[in-house]
Amino acid sequence: MLSDLGTLFINGALLTSFSIIYFSFKELKISNNLVPKKIYKLSLFQLFFTISSFFVLLLAYIFSDFTLVNVYENSHTNKPLFYKISGTWGNHEGSLLLWINILVLFSSLFLFINKNRDKKFKILTLLFQNLLIIIFLVFLLSNSNPFSKLFPVPLEGLGLNPILQDPALAIHPPLLYVGFVGSSIYFSAALAALISKIDSQSLAISIKPWVLVSWFFQTVGILVGSIWAYYELGWGGFWFWDPVENSSLMPWFVMTALLHSILVLERRIGLYSWVIVLSILTFTMSVSGTFLVRSGILNSVHTFASDPSRGLFILSFLILMVFSSIFIFFKFAPNENKKYTIFSKESFIIANNWFMIFFLAVVLIGTLYPVFLDTITGSKISVGPPYYNLVLAPFLIPLLFLMTSGPNYKWVSNEAKSFFNIVLLLSIVFFIITFFIIEENSFLLNLILFFSIYLITQTLFDFYESSKKKNINISRIISHLGFGLLIFFIYVNHIFSIENNFNLKLGETKKMDNYTIKFNNLEQQSVKNYKSIVGYFNILDKKTSKSEELNPEIRIYDKPITITYEASIKSGLFSDTYLTMSNISDTDIFNIKFQVKPFMNFIWFSVLLLSSGGILNFFNRKKYEKN
Amino acid sequence: MKNIINIIIIFFLITSSSYSNENLNNQILKNLRCLVCQGQTVQDSNSEFALIIKSVVKDKIKEGNNEKEIYKFLSEKYGDWILLNPPLKKNSYLLWFLPYLLFILGVIFLFFLLKKPKIRPKE
Repeated sequence: MLSDLGTLFINGALLTSFSIIYFSFKELKISNNLVPKKIYKLSLFQLFFTISSFFVLLLAYIFSDFTLVNVYENSHTNKPLFYKISGTWGNHEGSLLLWINILVLFSSLFLFINKNRDKKFKILTLLFQNLLIIIFLVFLLSNSNPFSKLFPVPLEGLGLNPILQDPALAIHPPLLYVGFVGSSIYFSAALAALISKIDSQSLAISIKPWVLVSWFFQTVGILVGSIWAYYELGWGGFWFWDPVENSSLMPWFVMTALLHSILVLERRIGLYSWVIVLSILTFTMSVSGTFLVRSGILNSVHTFASDPSRGLFILSFLILMVFSSIFIFFKFAPNENKKYTIFSKESFIIANNWFMIFFLAVVLIGTLYPVFLDTITGSKISVGPPYYNLVLAPFLIPLLFLMTSGPNYKWVSNEAKSFFNIVLLLSIVFFIITFFIIEENSFLLNLILFFSIYLITQTLFDFYESSKKKNINISRIISHLGFGLLIFFIYVNHIFSIENNFNLKLGETKKMDNYTIKFNNLEQQSVKNYKSIVGYFNILDKKTSKSEELNPEIRIYDKPITITYEASIKSGLFSDTYLTMSNISDTDIFNIKFQVKPFMNFIWFSVLLLSSGGILNFFNRKKYEKN
Repeated sequence: MKNIINIIIIFFLITSSSYSNENLNNQILKNLRCLVCQGQTVQDSNSEFALIIKSVVKDKIKEGNNEKEIYKFLSEKYGDWILLNPPLKKNSYLLWFLPYLLFILGVIFLFFLLKKPKIRPKE
């Protein structure tokens, strides 16, 4: 029953999308400035159909309706309700439906929010957006239908991959999707802007909120994913430069570049074509990311739903999208021949874009190079964290420096400023203090630390200065401060991390330089959907003579049978103690991994700070437009 | 650009300086891919394969081999796929140099985009 209802709603959505395209085409020939009520109504119907179809799938999961193949394959009656709900988007088909939901939601929101914009621009945006919606709906119906039926109806489902049964991972995909799919709306708007030739300020104002929102969600989505990787994957790191992680970072770089260029566009200084290129590139990167993850051509710890036939579809779509965008771009792009003065804000923003595109290129090369090499020559190589650290880290220095000085230059001016001021002096003092605490002798690390301290100090100083004048660009200050802190704490964390691997039997004690670890007890527990072996450890810090109890687990899930190693983390304000254990087969020896990870909470906090700048700008946008 | 090259060279020199045995061991294991796992390092894995590699690396360090020699030994045995830090070879020139090439192209592009500053007298 639910299956038929779901299919009905999907078809309804498809039908309304076609009608929207039909009426939009007709509207393009009528030259008044009013979008007819009909289109608004159709858009509402479309929204109703898609949301209902998602709701139906949700119900099927909650009531474990195994007439749906999708529910049978990814759920189980014994699963806690929370994970039944999150299971809806914890698989390929369901997540595609969520993807379409966001696509449709943004399409209608764009229509209703931009009531006063140029009609042709609005209609064209709607048209492109609905083309995207149709393509994804067809993909859903033909290849990945979450409402496919199963007969005979099984009594029990196969269950959800236990690694995905986690609160952080339940909210991680929806967050990232808002980021990924959010970029579709400025993709459509950019193409529409080219054809309808609207002026730069209108384009900037109409896409700015979407860029801010998608950037915010993308940032938070990446953060939640990292936190999850930190405590769930059990290796104590939060970023592995894994292909799947990279594919969420690639659109982020372009979004960040776009976020900055829009500021130039808004003031009619230039960058019209460039903003359009970035808008197209962001969505392209989002779809490529999805392609890479779903097609299974990458070797990754995060690959959960891969199938080559999906890859082929997404790849064809990607090629079609890129080529038609390029065609539209070259046919309609306006001629811009502008030069920018070096010591102006816009030049620094262009420099920011240059760095973002460079970072994007490095990550793209690193992710795709092994794939191409393998296809062409058959030789397999790996590109891992050492490559990215080596190539990217030196470029953080000029980036941090540009972020420090750039914001204090004026628009369209050419006034060079002296670098030697009180802030630089203070930063040097702070750095020298840090240097003696850290005692790190790598020159590169010290330079990065110095420039992040410089950025932090300058940003705090800017905050103090502008709060006197009462025209604070608070979002810039918060985001830049967040970035400076992030880089600073990542490197301090890197320098001070302690890691020890050793084997231990029950009752034994391991003595290290500063810590003593005692393996006190081992217990078996039975929880609703898994059994677990819990180890009881006592960790004594010899310096502070404080002791902590940590209980890492080995979990055996029954549906489907999977063994996971749960880290035990004692998270303090300044430092985390991290312990994982795993059994060595056929022995009573356990392999213990003990880590001390300083400033983890500061790293998370910095990213939150970084992202909150974006959302603050979103809410302050109105105030700003009136000036 | 010169500065950047200098920084890179200095970075290479410093990172190749000495480590204690325990650190060297961790450092090497972190740069090895566990071939039977999905995107994990040997350091983080407890698969049988990873355990074997761990003991091989330990022995090799005891025998007095340095980091490079150990990587070379492992890549001859298992292929370059095991090394997370791709060695500079004919098949990875593009991987290592393309980023820098693009960065320089960016500089040239910016050079044409930006006006040279004129020194204007104060009004």
